[in-house]
Amino acid sequence: MISIKTKSLILFLLAFSCATSTNAQTFIGKNIKVNIFSSTPVEDIKAASSSGTAVLIAQKQELAIQVNIKSLEFDKKLMQEHFNENYMESDKYPVAKFKGIISPKIDWTKDGEYNVTAKGTLSVHGVDQPRNIIGKITIKNGAVNLFSTFDVACAAHQIKIPSLVFTKIAEVIKVTIQGTLTPLNK
Amino acid sequence: MNKSKLFIYLFLVLLFLVVRASAQSADSLLNTLDSSKKINKVESTFKATHIVLSHSTETQKKHDLDLRIRHHFGDIGGEFGSAHTLYGLDVATDLFIGLDYGVSDKLTIGIGRSKHDELFDLYIKQKLIQQQKDSGLPFNLTFLAQVGLVARAPFATTEFANYADRLTYLIQPIISRKFSSRVSLQVMPSYLIRSVSADPNDPNNLFSVGFAGRFKLTKRLSFVADYTLINGLSRKDNLTTPLYNPLGVGLEIETGGHIFSLNFMNSEFITENNFIANTKKSWTDGGVRFGFTISRNFSLFKSKNKDPNTKSTIY
Repeated sequence: MISIKTKSLILFLLAFSCATSTNAQTFIGKNIKVNIFSSTPVEDIKAASSSGTAVLIAQKQELAIQVNIKSLEFDKKLMQEHFNENYMESDKYPVAKFKGIISPKIDWTKDGEYNVTAKGTLSVHGVDQPRNIIGKITIKNGAVNLFSTFDVACAAHQIKIPSLVFTKIAEVIKVTIQGTLTPLNK
Repeated sequence: MNKSKLFIYLFLVLLFLVVRASAQSADSLLNTLDSSKKINKVESTFKATHIVLSHSTETQKKHDLDLRIRHHFGDIGGEFGSAHTLYGLDVATDLFIGLDYGVSDKLTIGIGRSKHDELFDLYIKQKLIQQQKDSGLPFNLTFLAQVGLVARAPFATTEFANYADRLTYLIQPIISRKFSSRVSLQVMPSYLIRSVSADPNDPNNLFSVGFAGRFKLTKRLSFVADYTLINGLSRKDNLTTPLYNPLGVGLEIETGGHIFSLNFMNSEFITENNFIANTKKSWTDGGVRFGFTISRNFSLFKSKNKDPNTKSTIY
């Protein structure tokens, strides 16, 4: 018969290993780069943020990324103000967010490169759109690197561009996301 | 046996906690990482550095230059108005051209020239407090200091006996609050220092309190108004020629880089140093007039931005 002490130790270790293994399969990233790019024959406009956040729950292949709209920086500050005030209404809708499930199934413990599709919801300007977003995941030394470029149509998210500035702002904005997620608590 | 039961129970509790931890959604984790709490500045209380007549708490963005052209026409009604002057449109009581430059996001310097009195003005405007969301500071505070120089020739030999008589100084702390995305209100006590006043009963130094507000009708169209209270504060009511408190109302249209304002006001003059001191027309006797402001913003030193991720290009 095993002593009570050993039994308790075994149970504790079992529980602990369960806990650590789930933790090891949750990845977080705090400095995700988000770039937006609008291109028309008249003007190219770019803005960038490096404070996007991301969470990946490996077991469920669930990925959530969000960026604070006000953290996107333009070289013209007045343009940035108009972006927040007139287009994104960032006081009302402070974040843009994507949440989805990644396929195919990935072994998150092994190094490798995967072309993936994330199926989920893109929420911009308070409007949710079901999206399949294509991207690339690279796993190296236990860290997960995300890269994705996709288009966001202003009209699909009820972002109205007045005819007066139609020539300067593209109807479809190119969004690039890039960043590294590391295991939680490590 | 009792003890092993206890351990099984303990194990189940632990297991439950573990399952709970793994079931933690990406959403709730994302919220704990949320960096949005860091950004709690309340911006764009007003669209422009001016409201109708008065300054707002807004300053120019860094390296932005604002070219501001303002026009006040003649009286719509009364003795000098009506169809004979096409309701004042034949007359220009004051014209103004000014340049406002953002040294930094919080410090703006400006120069301007008015037709009336050939007044040159130079001002410095510093944003001291920025309104914050939630538990932060609930208002904006901007400090304005403006000096005016009357450049015209004296009307009488006794006028401008000292060169300093041509100078006037305005000191104005401006306090505003953005109550919602639609409504912003402002109050601005000010002190105008003069060497002389036209009316011997009018004190040289005038204390006044201004009130201003914005109501946004759409994202780009706002109703704006400002009123400056002078009579009843430092000014006596026994003046030979009555002077009035300036009131301006207007529609402000923003088109991305340009701001157009269509205004009605009783003050003939555009710059504080003139309109606080000398508004001789009143809303009640046909002295109201039409005026407009055209503001065009230029971003200077764009070539200094070497970051390819934020560099914008105009073809």
